[in-house]
Amino acid sequence: MVLFIELMNSIREFLDTGGQVLTVIAGVICLMWLLIFERLYFFFVGYQQMKKRMVQAWQNRAERSSWNAEQIRIANVSRVTESLNNNVALIQSLVVLCPLLGLLGTVTGMIEVFDVMAISGSGNARSMASGVSKATIPTMAGMVGSLSGVFIVTWLQRKTKRRTEQMEDALPLAH
Amino acid sequence: MNKITKLISALAFGALSTSVIAQDQATSLDQLLKQLEQGQIAQSQENKQREAEFNARKAEQDNMLVDARNTRDQAVNRSAELEQTFQDNEIELGNRIEALNKRMGELKELFGVLQQVAGDARSKFTTSVVSAQIPGRGEFLDQFAQSMGSTSKLASIEEIERLWFELQREMTENGKVHKFNREVVAADGAKSNQEVIRIGGFSLVSNGKYLEYIDETGSVAELIRQPNSRYLDSAQALTTSNGDVVPFALDPTGGSILSLLVQAPDTQERVDQGGAVGYVILAIGAIGLLIALERFITLFLVGNKINRQLKTDVASNDNPLGRVMLVKDENKNADTETLELKLSERILAEVPKITSRLTLIKIVSVVAPLIGLLGTVTGMINTFQAITLFGTGDPKLMAGGISQALVTTVLGLVVAIPMVFISTLLNTRSRGIINILQQQSAGIIAERAESEELAKKGA
Repeated sequence: MVLFIELMNSIREFLDTGGQVLTVIAGVICLMWLLIFERLYFFFVGYQQMKKRMVQAWQNRAERSSWNAEQIRIANVSRVTESLNNNVALIQSLVVLCPLLGLLGTVTGMIEVFDVMAISGSGNARSMASGVSKATIPTMAGMVGSLSGVFIVTWLQRKTKRRTEQMEDALPLAH
Repeated sequence: MNKITKLISALAFGALSTSVIAQDQATSLDQLLKQLEQGQIAQSQENKQREAEFNARKAEQDNMLVDARNTRDQAVNRSAELEQTFQDNEIELGNRIEALNKRMGELKELFGVLQQVAGDARSKFTTSVVSAQIPGRGEFLDQFAQSMGSTSKLASIEEIERLWFELQREMTENGKVHKFNREVVAADGAKSNQEVIRIGGFSLVSNGKYLEYIDETGSVAELIRQPNSRYLDSAQALTTSNGDVVPFALDPTGGSILSLLVQAPDTQERVDQGGAVGYVILAIGAIGLLIALERFITLFLVGNKINRQLKTDVASNDNPLGRVMLVKDENKNADTETLELKLSERILAEVPKITSRLTLIKIVSVVAPLIGLLGTVTGMINTFQAITLFGTGDPKLMAGGISQALVTTVLGLVVAIPMVFISTLLNTRSRGIINILQQQSAGIIAERAESEELAKKGA
């Protein structure tokens, strides 16, 4: 319990030194990882069930060579691709947003630094320090968040493409 | 020497005048000659007489010279005497001053300390909010410090005790929360007599608002910009409390943090700093937001209708999928190739309605930070113009321009970040609908046809 409180305190301290932008970045990163975990769950559980169901329905068909059968097959593959692609674009946009938010934090922090300079002159480095930490910490956080997501996103995209092809192979047309 | 030349010139003048008289009277050359002769005789006689006189007075001259020398010697002696006296006096004076300094030694140190303490206390009282309650402490301290600084005046015991009293009073008052009535200048300039609460030496509060004490005019004024409502609430609680313990946000610097608050610009002023470029960005952002809102509503409605269509077999005319499905009903007996052509024709007609204006949102998200960058660069140009005009001497001048330049970047990012997010959301939504139309509609029609056949067979 004490450990938990200490942890929360250090997190709160970190968020305070980083300013409001850091809180937004934290929210974006949380959302991004929630979506990533949802995707991973779908890939390993939901997709398998979906595939099994579709392959079974296809095998149960009487004929698999007419125009109707071909169109139904295309529609089924498209449905699978759609559910595989679900949220991947959103995750990708969140990955792009992280460094942008970091940049926003940098600029607002720099404005604070220059405000301090405009009021007190450039002599006092100590009074500028809070602005500088507000400028640098969000950039770092944005970079870290973006990097943590970028590998997963490329992996997800590649996986989606492979799975689509596998699905097409699993529903063969009879000639 | 002077006397001698005067004598000689007088003699020459006398000789000339006699000869002139003789000339005037001469009527013939002989007579002139005679006169000349006589004149010569008379002249030589006169000269002899003068010589005699001169010799007679020579002794007298010598006497005068001796007298003058005597007088001079006396004067020199007296001067030497006086010089000696002066030097003696000087030494005497030095000794006396030294003795005085020795005797004054510790007392002087005390005066120095008193002067220093009075000066320090003066500057402390200048910023202290206690001065709002007890006016007129500064003048006494000014006079006191001045009289301590000059050597001719001594401080009286009463004055020294007064200084002690003032210091003690400041200390005592710093530990109290005190209510008193005095004139307060409101933010709009109106003056009124209000009850003011002073919290130690930290803050002044009246009617739930923070006040500042201005030493130059000796007045108490409401802060033009009040702190957050969180802090104002605590001030209000203090105003209304009856001696209970109340949490209160005080300014530990005794008012200087609160006075800096007035200088810090609020959001409105920040946006104004961005200038024309800032407003352009905001306008673009607003337009983008409106378009996005319209798209959200349209796509949401269309998506709902398509979902409803997916659940029923009856094609309705109010949604894109339904209209595509109607193609089959309209061409019941067409072969598959014709049907496929008709389907793709209908789909091509439907797609632009769904994707329209989405690129515009994408453009907004790309253009906004670019305009922000433009504003930054123009702001920097202005800053450098200020530097060429006024030099780099004043960092405050430059810092103001730079913080203005950065505001446009912030505005650009503030517009771009939600736009990137929104455009992704809208794109996924529209792509989903288009996928259903392009890749699944034919399949849906086929499924429908098959189930109809099954129904017929069953019948």
